[in-house]
Amino acid sequence: MIGNHPIVAAALFAGAMLGVRGADAHAFLDHASPSVGSTVPSPPGAVTMWFTQQLEPAFTTATVTDNSGTNVDSAAAAVDPKDPTELRVPLKPLPPGTYTVTWHALSVDTHTTQGHFNFEVAGK
Amino acid sequence: MEDFLIAARAVHYASTISLAGVFAFLCLIAGPSASPRLCRRLSVLAWTSLVLALCSGGAWLLFVSTQMSGQSAADVVTQGVIGIVLNRTQFGEVWILRSGFAVILAVLLMMPHGWRGRSWRWTGLVFAASLLASLAWAGHGAATPGAPGDLHLAADVIHLLAAGAWVGSLVPLALSLAEARRNYDLGAISAARRVVVRFSVLAALSVVILFTAGLINTWFLAGTVPALIGTRYGHLLLLKIAIFIVMVVFGAVNLLRMAPRLSAGAGDRHRPVEAALGHLARNASIEALLGLCVLTIVAILGILPPGLHTEPGWPLPFRLELGALRPLANFELVIFSVLAGIFTVGGVATGAAGRYRAMTVVWAGVLVWVALAVFVVRPALEPAYPTSFFAPAEPYAAPSVARGAHIYAENCALCHGAGGKGDGPAAAALTIRPADLLEPHLFAHTPGDLFWLVSHGKGDGAMPGFAGTLSSADRWDVINFVRARGAGSLSHTVGPQISPLAAPPMPDFAFIEDGRQQTLAALEKTGPTLIVLFDAPPNAGRLARLTAARRMLTNAGVREVAIDLKPGPPPRTGSSPSLPLATVSPAVAATLQLFCAPGDGGETDLMLDRAGHPRARWSAKSAAGLPDADTLVADAAQVAQFPAAAESHAGHGG
Repeated sequence: MIGNHPIVAAALFAGAMLGVRGADAHAFLDHASPSVGSTVPSPPGAVTMWFTQQLEPAFTTATVTDNSGTNVDSAAAAVDPKDPTELRVPLKPLPPGTYTVTWHALSVDTHTTQGHFNFEVAGK
Repeated sequence: MEDFLIAARAVHYASTISLAGVFAFLCLIAGPSASPRLCRRLSVLAWTSLVLALCSGGAWLLFVSTQMSGQSAADVVTQGVIGIVLNRTQFGEVWILRSGFAVILAVLLMMPHGWRGRSWRWTGLVFAASLLASLAWAGHGAATPGAPGDLHLAADVIHLLAAGAWVGSLVPLALSLAEARRNYDLGAISAARRVVVRFSVLAALSVVILFTAGLINTWFLAGTVPALIGTRYGHLLLLKIAIFIVMVVFGAVNLLRMAPRLSAGAGDRHRPVEAALGHLARNASIEALLGLCVLTIVAILGILPPGLHTEPGWPLPFRLELGALRPLANFELVIFSVLAGIFTVGGVATGAAGRYRAMTVVWAGVLVWVALAVFVVRPALEPAYPTSFFAPAEPYAAPSVARGAHIYAENCALCHGAGGKGDGPAAAALTIRPADLLEPHLFAHTPGDLFWLVSHGKGDGAMPGFAGTLSSADRWDVINFVRARGAGSLSHTVGPQISPLAAPPMPDFAFIEDGRQQTLAALEKTGPTLIVLFDAPPNAGRLARLTAARRMLTNAGVREVAIDLKPGPPPRTGSSPSLPLATVSPAVAATLQLFCAPGDGGETDLMLDRAGHPRARWSAKSAAGLPDADTLVADAAQVAQFPAAAESHAGHGG
């Protein structure tokens, strides 16, 4: 009843579809505190990031480094249990300078994203 | 690895839908009339589906774990990553639950003589439907936060269930029709007729549900026309919808043309009836194969970033500027679309029923209708470029504007002039005058239009392209600067009366007040904002009046930020009351300076609506003078009526 042709066509179609590749991207940074690219007058105690989707704590990380690439976070980044779109990294006391936040996020629909941004702590 | 994941997902969707379809067919379509032979064949189908579902589900878990952890498949198995995924992620929890459903279904299928029992069938349907519907928690809908997320998730669940009821029961339908053809007596034919009618009702219901839930999902994941026709996600979605429509056409042919023949000629040697049974079964099989194509697309869509999260490449040389259509208004467009949709459905239905003359008339009507619409919307067509709908990769905010100012001075000022009026030193020698970037026309272009012009030039090389010399981020910075400067310059024309027209918005910026960092974007979410810019040291009397006004404004729900753009030594002790002036970095001060005019006399006040558009403006030197607190409170109540910035599904940067 089912001829050969539709099956072959469907198989070819499925094969062609398998060639399509996608970039992995999902939970994007919505905003952060200190805000992206901004200057703060006094050292913040933590960097907090808000994402566009809910995050998986087990596979979401963020690090903060100074100009020389040294880690300045005082503990691992943690997803807020009450608001799973919020990621927080506690910081050591920061001297004035420019700092880079690098994040890797896994959203609950199993997609990974990453990005980075700077902020500056003003001199006295 | 991605190809394997897509394959595992496609097989898993198909097998769980097939499993749900077997039970849907038994409970909702065949009823107790299913013959023992058909039940045996359905049993084989159910077992095959369950085994495939288990294998592909395991493969999906394995491939997803490798993606999450970035480790190889072997490491994922030996180093316990799968355990972490199962125990500590939502995907893992859903998979454990679904394994439970699968085990229960296996036990049910192993029960002897179960196929005839009513409660057995309905139990099977519940668990097969749960196995299918729980897939929604592993998809895009599960990650959308808040109440919209719940709607998205609900739409996903309903979409899956409707797909299971319709697509899943196609193969059982084909099997049962083949059975009727084999037996071929009056009882079998009347049973087949009943099956076809009940299936058609279920299918029609499912199609309506699939369409509605699909619209909701499309809105969440594509949401805009550019995202639909300009991204790979959108293209695949359109392909999926096209195949869906072909499936509906096959279904309509079955319902409108083939099903009536089953009752036509029980007397005339059964010939047309036998042929109709064959056609029905064949069409159902073709529909099932098309359904498989749709599921393969679904498998790919699930791992692609949704259309709203990628930059749409606009394929057309024009775009529709709905703002230019004001007198016609969107309402009429909606009516037009609905009528076009009804005509199209009529065209498909008449064709499927074999009424070709009626079909020709309806389709001719659709063509005339579309031509009419094109004629009407033609004045609203604006030139567009492939990048017209790109969202700025650098957010429209002070840090980017400040960087852009430097890039502008080095690359653009020579022709466009340091102030942007198109009067740079090199402009005189050019036959085509460089654009005046302070003209309001600047804002008739989307940021994406400007990105194309900056990247590739304009006017056959009159303006060179900068794609080779400036990085993409640099080009966005310069666009943000040019737009911020244009917005600043246009804001000078805003008067002290609340304007119903939205002047271009102020860029976002961070400021420090009371030792705490805040952003304009966060303030705007709470309501209208009064920005007070001091370009010269404020005097004590003014500060005292502002302090009094702030109390009233705060009570009225209006945020006021007073920013000292040129912080000098702190005011002499004792003289000034304690109005906390906000401070900003030099980059932010330079950006805000764009909104101060030279003749402002040291203070500029801007009332911003919730989307950052200046709606009223006062300055120390203006004829109307600076506003008092009562005026501000009344104005703010009016400004609060203007809409907030559209909530973006996809945040970039910020």
